[in-house]
Amino acid sequence: MQTALAISGYKRLPLYTPSLAVYSSRLISRELANESAALMKPSLSFSKPAYSAAFDYDAALTACASGDSRALKALYDVEAPRMLGVAMRLLKRQSLAEDAVHDAFVNIWSKAASFNTDLGGGRGWMYAILRNRALNMLRGEDRIDFTDDLESFGLTSEDENPEDAMSRMSDASALRRCLQTLDEPKRNAIVLAYMHGLSHGELAGKLGVPLGTMKSWIRRGLLALKECLG
Amino acid sequence: MMSPAPEDRDALAMEYAVGLLEAHSARIEEMMEDDPVLFSCVRHWRQHFTELDMTVLPFSPSAGLWRRVEESVMQFRPEAAPIRHRTSNTNSLWQNLPLWRWTALAAGAASLLLVFGLTAQILQTPSPAIMVAVLQQDDGKPGAIVEALADGSVRLIPLQQINVPRGRALQVWTKRNDVEGPISVGLLDQARTLRLDLGQLPTPGSGQLFEITLEPETGSPTGRPTGPILMKGLTADTL
Repeated sequence: MQTALAISGYKRLPLYTPSLAVYSSRLISRELANESAALMKPSLSFSKPAYSAAFDYDAALTACASGDSRALKALYDVEAPRMLGVAMRLLKRQSLAEDAVHDAFVNIWSKAASFNTDLGGGRGWMYAILRNRALNMLRGEDRIDFTDDLESFGLTSEDENPEDAMSRMSDASALRRCLQTLDEPKRNAIVLAYMHGLSHGELAGKLGVPLGTMKSWIRRGLLALKECLG
Repeated sequence: MMSPAPEDRDALAMEYAVGLLEAHSARIEEMMEDDPVLFSCVRHWRQHFTELDMTVLPFSPSAGLWRRVEESVMQFRPEAAPIRHRTSNTNSLWQNLPLWRWTALAAGAASLLLVFGLTAQILQTPSPAIMVAVLQQDDGKPGAIVEALADGSVRLIPLQQINVPRGRALQVWTKRNDVEGPISVGLLDQARTLRLDLGQLPTPGSGQLFEITLEPETGSPTGRPTGPILMKGLTADTL
């Protein structure tokens, strides 16, 4: 019986338990989410992000904490393509970005028990883990990987510019509304820093201003955002 | 570390959430553990900025990525391990990518260590001494050895403990002939093995005088020995 389970691939995962119905029932259609994710190749543009609003991230993370790897697979199916996109923005190369996503899911699994469901925000928590990992790869010990590929460090694809990203933000987004109150250089600097993991120095180089100016733009821009977002 | 002021916390949290704190991020993460206010600030700003992540164009992961995740995740599932061992032990071990990665890393590191170790050993194989001087103290006891090695280096090896008064130092001299007089080749604060700096001097010849005198801390002010001679000896060829 156990041998049969092991050799038939996926079956070595625990069976889908009834407790998972909590988040699976709120998932309007995972098949649909998968389908749309598969369709959204980078070359295709789309007007609004496909929020998986119906997916209960917090419940899935709780299930992960109790050792149910089907919950991790569900999170992966819903979120991996977008997480890979975020990692690609930071790391540029798909192989590195996939390493970051891999490490992020391993961390999500191993840290799921420390996720505080009272606070909620499971999806934000997952992206924080991913971004931490990718930024560490970008700046840390793995940096040597970039030396043969410095060209790809710049803004190479048109769909990655800050204005396009802004235009894809939800109309209801408070961040979008507040970013739009900033003057363009400050807005671009902050959005570029976030999307591409650029440092003050790299931003100064990219936008052709002195480092001091860039630091001041960022500081004042963030202050204005704070005032606006409250 | 002290907690930052409330208004600074927000600024810190925002810069951290944007990813602009670079080298300080590990410190911020430590601070967050002890500072619930900072933690919730960071959380607050992350939630806002995550809206920018949601604008990304999704990328289809490679077909094998989930399998990689799944295999790594198995490491964290102690309850799953016995089943795997009982069923297809060899196979799952063979396909355990993290295990083999670490094994490969460890093997690589071990080879590097071996290379360094062997290189160090080869480099440390002492060059044979071609010239030796035994420096004798007033009481006739050997106080130190000076040896000139085949590779051109010259070193002093003390044989006796020497009490060096505060503010004084031991200065090593060599004298090739009376015309040139004694030349300083080293200064040391206590009796220890020292590589002597012969500068432009040629490798010591036979019968060359070496001596150690007690001098001011910064060495003899005149460039010639001024203090008492503690030990001296002449070089002799080795067999």
